[in-house]
Order: sequence, then structure tokens, then C-alpha cells
Amino acid sequence: MTAGLIEARGLTARYGDSKALDGLNASIPAGEIVAVLGENGSGKSTFLKILARVLRPSGGVLEFDGRGLESLPRRQTARRIAYVPQSVELVFPIRSLDLVLQGRAPHGNGFVAETAEDFRRARDAMRACDVEALAERDASALSGGERRRVFLARALCQEAEVWLLDEPTAGLDPRHGLEFLETLWRIHRERGTTVLLVTHDIGLASGLASSVLLLKAGRTIARGPRSEVLTPENLSLAYGAPFERRGARFGVRSDVLPAGSFDL
Amino acid sequence: MKPISRGPALLAGTLLVLVVAAIAFSVGGVHLPLADLLPGRGEAGETARMLAALRLPRVALAALVGGCLALAGAALQALLKNPLADPFLLGTSGGAAAGAACAALLGASPLVSPAAAFLGAAAASVGVAALARRGGRLDLQRLLLAGLIANAFFSAMLLAAFSIASGEASRTMLFWMMGSLADATPGKVAALAPYALGGAAVLLAAAGRLNLFAVGEESAAALGVDTERTKRVVFLAASLLTGAAVAFAGVIGFVGLLVPHGVRAIAGNDQRTLLPLSALAGAALLVVADAVSRAALAPVELPIGAITAALGAPLFAWLLLRTP
Repeated sequence: MTAGLIEARGLTARYGDSKALDGLNASIPAGEIVAVLGENGSGKSTFLKILARVLRPSGGVLEFDGRGLESLPRRQTARRIAYVPQSVELVFPIRSLDLVLQGRAPHGNGFVAETAEDFRRARDAMRACDVEALAERDASALSGGERRRVFLARALCQEAEVWLLDEPTAGLDPRHGLEFLETLWRIHRERGTTVLLVTHDIGLASGLASSVLLLKAGRTIARGPRSEVLTPENLSLAYGAPFERRGARFGVRSDVLPAGSFDL
Repeated sequence: MKPISRGPALLAGTLLVLVVAAIAFSVGGVHLPLADLLPGRGEAGETARMLAALRLPRVALAALVGGCLALAGAALQALLKNPLADPFLLGTSGGAAAGAACAALLGASPLVSPAAAFLGAAAASVGVAALARRGGRLDLQRLLLAGLIANAFFSAMLLAAFSIASGEASRTMLFWMMGSLADATPGKVAALAPYALGGAAVLLAAAGRLNLFAVGEESAAALGVDTERTKRVVFLAASLLTGAAVAFAGVIGFVGLLVPHGVRAIAGNDQRTLLPLSALAGAALLVVADAVSRAALAPVELPIGAITAALGAPLFAWLLLRTP
């Protein structure tokens, strides 16, 4: 078995006194879409933030491309790993094009001034994410779906080979969610981008991801190809709710609700 | 929302400062026609030169203090992603004034008071940052709350010092509380300039990184910024500018709040333009406010802080109403 692009062994992290990660193990192969699943507080977002260098781990091993992630210069990893945050409150107006241009910050001359080349890449990225028409608009006044795609364009403009997405479709209606995922899928296919996708949508994970990382209380309880990890037993253990298989899908049983069970 | 060009904007800002400085220079209890400064004006020329020697340092001090306060406010607003951030809100200027007042109360010579103000500002910064630190990180919301507490504490200290002090000491105490440019001398201008330029250089160098804070601290970190270091550097440089301004002009409120908002409305929120333009606009604003304070009810001088507060407090209220 070859080592993944990202290897985590016994990774721990804490917020003050509480453990956020408690010995997480993961191996993320290059070029795959990996869904990170688990109940609220299981450490999904924490793992993503550690990979994005937003948080520091408190212990364990975390390697990126064979080297300790924490020992690499920040700007160097920012050129290779892009983070698309869950939701961002924009207090001051910011032109969408300027937001996408932020993706050039880890490259070039250290945040001093953009070059014509930076503008060209930003425009290309906006075109690929279908937000070129919004370039001059204030990003703080865009709809949720538009803004997610502007952030996707920023990640594209960053030219990173790894994308970290934290619940990218949460809060989007079905159409905007679909448009977002289609854009993501197209870019993944065209560029071979490695994608880590934190989500609560098991259907999305089983449809889009090739492998799954299942977390509970900051630990890995299952990982590997989606067909092996996504079983009623694993899901019931991860979420503490009674799961059952329904064809290609999964559902939770309820003794209380009128319909008795629901597809997930 | 096309961004404005940086070069022409900065040139216009510089011209604005020069023009208002020239006007402010001739305004006051006694009108000073600039033409009288030309050679060959006889007795009128003599009088003009005497007046100029008094007024020039005052205009220069107003410009430097206004620039310091506005730049510090603009940088803090960008760092904290909060339109209400201001050196006064974070307790820095309160700490500076309290430091200077303590030194005066202990009978220290006026030469020591700038140093005491810097110490007070630095102590306030360190204390507020320590209160705001959680799990090894500087939490921005706690920072604002800690500033609020620090401000209340320093105001009480300043009032206590004022009630204990007598004679000359109470007059200087009043100077720090009310803020004034009346005691400007060339020596003060020369002493303030290196702090102003040093602090400004640090903040302007951080402008590109501060831009990334507009989308949030986590986003900036993920784009390769050492956010903890940037926060420390910007916070300390803003404290230095504020401490220097308070030491030489007392507490003058609302400049750091007022100016960045006006500039942002015209020039947008790119910190590489906003920061230098705020410094220039702050200089212009305080020069004008000082001229108004001298000329409005001459020979009585209005406190300059009353003029900036009359402009700034309504803006603060308006911003508060708009903040969700």
C-alpha cells in the first residue's frame, strides 16, 4: 500500500481543556474525493482546519507529501492546499474579483501588488466557476450559492492541488447545491484535484466521494473505499442512530415519526 | 464597484493636507495673510513671522496627531474586521492618558510624560491582549470586550488623578482628558515625528496581509499569513501611534473611527490604499478641526475633542444602528 498524499497518525488537537481530535488516523490518496463524515463535534472541521494551517495539532504525526506539515513554511503549503470555509461573514464590501485575487496571495511577491498574470488567472478561475459575470459585484451582497462559487473560484485561482471544503452545500437550495457540485466535479475531473469534503449529507458522500473517512469523538472508526465504509453498522455506530440499507441508499428508523423511517 | 487608482488618490490626499494646512495657518484669533510672509513687508512682515513661528508647529502637530490616530483606527478596523474598532474603544488611548497623568501626579517633570504615556499605552495593550488571549490565540471578540473594560478602568483612574491633583498638575491632567494642541512647540513636533513615521511604516507594510483579514482570520491563515504574528505587530504599532498622539495632544476621540469610514466610502476597502489615505485624511481633518477650535469663538478656544466628538458620535450611533 502506497502512502497517501496526506497521512495522519494518532493526530490530536484540543480547544482549551476539551479534546477535539483524539488519535485520528487517515490516509488521503492523491486525486481522489474523500468525504469526511461523523456526528457534530466528531472532529471533522478540526481536521480540515489543521490541514489548512488554521489550527495547530497538539500531538501525533501529520505528513503532507512525505514531510511534516507543521515544519513546512505557511505560504508554501498555502500554494498547494486551498481551504473553502463553511460560511463567511463579510463586514466590509469587497469586489468579487478582489476576493478571487486573494487566491494569488501565497504566490508571487508577498501580498504587495497583483500582476497582470494574477488578474488573468483570477478571470479564468471565475469563468470556470460560472461567476465571471459577478466579477465587479460586491461579494457581501451576493446570494449564498453565488458566494460559494466565488470562493470556489478563489481556491481555483490559488492553483492548489488539494481542496478542503467544509460543508459546501449546507444552506443551499437543491438547484444551487447541484450547480455547486457540478462545478466542483468538473474541476476535479479536469485537474485531478484532491478534495476533502466535510459533510452531513450521506447521500452526497456515497454519490460523489470515492473513499470515506468516518469519525467519532475525534477518532477514526472506519476509512477506505466508500462501499466498505458506508454500511448500516458503521453509520449506526458513528451517529448513534439506527441506520438501515434501502437499495443503494441508507435510512434511519424512527419509532416516533409517522413515516417510520427516512432516507439519508 | 471599480477601485480607485492608488497613485492619483494619494496625490490628491497629499494636496488636500497642504491646502488645508495653508488655510489653517492663516486662521485664528489674529488673521495671518500668507502674503505678509513674503520679504519686503516691513512691520507687517515682522508680525507675520512671529505669528508663523507660533502657528506652524501647531498645524504640524495637528497633522501628525490626526494622521497617527486615523491610521491606527483604520488598521484596527481591518485587523478586527469590525467597523467600530478604534484606539479609544480598545483602551489604548485611555492607558496612555492614565500613564501620563500618573507621572504628573507623582511630580515627574513634563519631559517624562511622553514616556509615561507610551508605557501606559503599552501596558493597556499587553493587558487587553492578555485578557483576550484564549488557548494561546488572540480572540477578536474578547479583545473588544477587554478594551471596553480597560477604558472604563482608565477613565476612573484619570478622574481620580484629576480630583487629587492641584494647581499646575490639575491643569495638565485636564489637558490629557480634554485633548489640546495649544502647547505645540517645534520640539514636540520633532519628538512625535519618528514615532509617527515608524508606526506608519510598520502598518503600511502589513497592508497586503490585512486585506486577507477582510474574509476572516481563518481564511487569512489558510492563505499563508502567520495571523498571530500579524495581529501582534499591528496591535503594537497601532498602540505606539496612539500612545505618541496622546502624549503630545491628550485624548482626542473619534478620529480613528471617523476618518477610515469616510475614506472607505470613497476609496473602497483595499488596505493598501485605505491605510495611507486615512493617514492623510486624518491629518487634514485634525488640522481643520484645530483651525475651527481656534477661530469659531475667538478669542476663546473650543476643546478640539469637542469638535471631533460632535462629528464622530453621530457616526458611531449610525454605525451601531446599522451593525446587526
